[in-house]
Amino acid sequence: MARYGMVMDMRACVGCQACMAACSMENQTPYWSEKFRTHVEDSAHGEYPNVRRELLPRLCMHCENTPCLSACPTGATYKTEDGIVRINYDRCIGCYACMIACPYDARYPYDGDDVEKAEALYGSDCSHTMPHVDKCSFCEHRVKSGLEPACAATCPTGARIFGDLDDPNSEVHKLSVSGIARPLRAELGTSPKVFYIPA
Amino acid sequence: MSFVHQEVWHWQIATYLFLGGLGGATFAIGAILHLFEGCDRKMLSIAVLSGMGFMGIGTIFLLADMLQPMKALYALTNPSSWIFWGVIFINFYFLMATVYVIPLLRSWPKLVLIVEIIPDPILDLMERFNRLAALGGSAAGFLVAIYTGLLISAAPAISFWNTPALPLLFVISAFSTGAAYLLLLSTFSKNDYAHKISEKLEQLDAGLIVTELIILGAYFNFAFFLPTGARASAAELFETPFFVFGFMGAGLLLPLAIETYSIFFSKHSKQSAGVVITASLLVLLGGFLLRYYVLHAGLYQYPW
Ligand code: SF4
Ligand code: SF4
Repeated sequence: MARYGMVMDMRACVGCQACMAACSMENQTPYWSEKFRTHVEDSAHGEYPNVRRELLPRLCMHCENTPCLSACPTGATYKTEDGIVRINYDRCIGCYACMIACPYDARYPYDGDDVEKAEALYGSDCSHTMPHVDKCSFCEHRVKSGLEPACAATCPTGARIFGDLDDPNSEVHKLSVSGIARPLRAELGTSPKVFYIPA
Repeated sequence: MSFVHQEVWHWQIATYLFLGGLGGATFAIGAILHLFEGCDRKMLSIAVLSGMGFMGIGTIFLLADMLQPMKALYALTNPSSWIFWGVIFINFYFLMATVYVIPLLRSWPKLVLIVEIIPDPILDLMERFNRLAALGGSAAGFLVAIYTGLLISAAPAISFWNTPALPLLFVISAFSTGAAYLLLLSTFSKNDYAHKISEKLEQLDAGLIVTELIILGAYFNFAFFLPTGARASAAELFETPFFVFGFMGAGLLLPLAIETYSIFFSKHSKQSAGVVITASLLVLLGGFLLRYYVLHAGLYQYPW
């Protein structure tokens, strides 16, 4: 079994947001309500003239220890054999317990209005036909057929490196054990499978 | 490091937490009174029925805040989730409350006919096990009250919530609101024995408020010393006038002062009923404000 993960090379990210657009198209996320499965945070730090711009792309970290899954009363949140954390839309009651529990702000509600818009926009191809809580799925449907997640495939600078963390020959494995790439808020004990190489 | 307000659970959930705690504690204290003080059955039946009402309305607020309330039964799937246990506790509560209250309804002449519809053997059984149902009910009430705190303390990233002090604070506050509500009922009771019960409830509530103040002190002291979002949350609450003057002042200290005065100096005359009612209402208001502001002050500490 693979154990999928991603490394974000912050030295390469230019904040072009191509990943956000690609993900929105691939997964029909409600961009009209400014809800995304992956978001590139863009913030300024310091005082003029010593101002620094900081970019931070984020998404579901597909944690090993999942507070969102523990909080979900319905079993709608589950983990695949490959360690991908997914949501069964049909079972999700939209109680938001998972959103409260997720330390990475990875989830958002796909509410009734969003479903209506999505149905009008995508017609019979619409993949969100009922209200539920939504988040990144590492594009499991693409990964299953040997492709990379849409964000990683699109990133023009190669800032997103996707692969099997357990495969000793994979780049994500090498980076994740190198010590250069670190997860966010490791102290919470969630063991994220997304790692960041500082800029 | 930046702190961001949680934008997920608002006043609807605060109302649910408040009414759940109030309903749970009202039944729990009422049942304990029954077991040890043997108080008036009419008042107890009103208390338990309204406790069920609070719980019912609270649950409606919770369901109304969900995306798919019609599928709520799925919530009985994952035992590692506090909501799962909430559903179990609340159902146990309603079961116990129903079994407990039906025999009590016989003390209402107008309701006797409705109660008599239930076959005699079942009614007799309920009557026989009434004290057992009271015991089960007080456990159920306690569990529901403490669950409201456990539910929100299960958020690892919101450090102000993610502490054992919070369920403790919520359960004591819930019992204080329950005692205040029963005190309110007892001031309206025509039973000769009612003023004795009022006295007991007043002492109980004053004791609970003092306990709540001690826990609050420890909680805030703890939060202020943590180099995390908890400190920012605590600081924010101290700058919120409705929290300081509304909850702490009007919802805790003022009713404590009234109750203390009443315990030592006034002997529950008709004239003193007005202030006791005021104190009870203030405690109830305080209970809601506590939950509203604690929810509001939930801050995520983001790594960006
Ligand atoms: S990032 Fe959030 S949603 Fe994703 S697995 Fe971790 S806790 Fe769950
Ligand atoms: S909102 Fe859906 S996925 Fe999240 S905890 Fe509730 S049922 Fe589970």
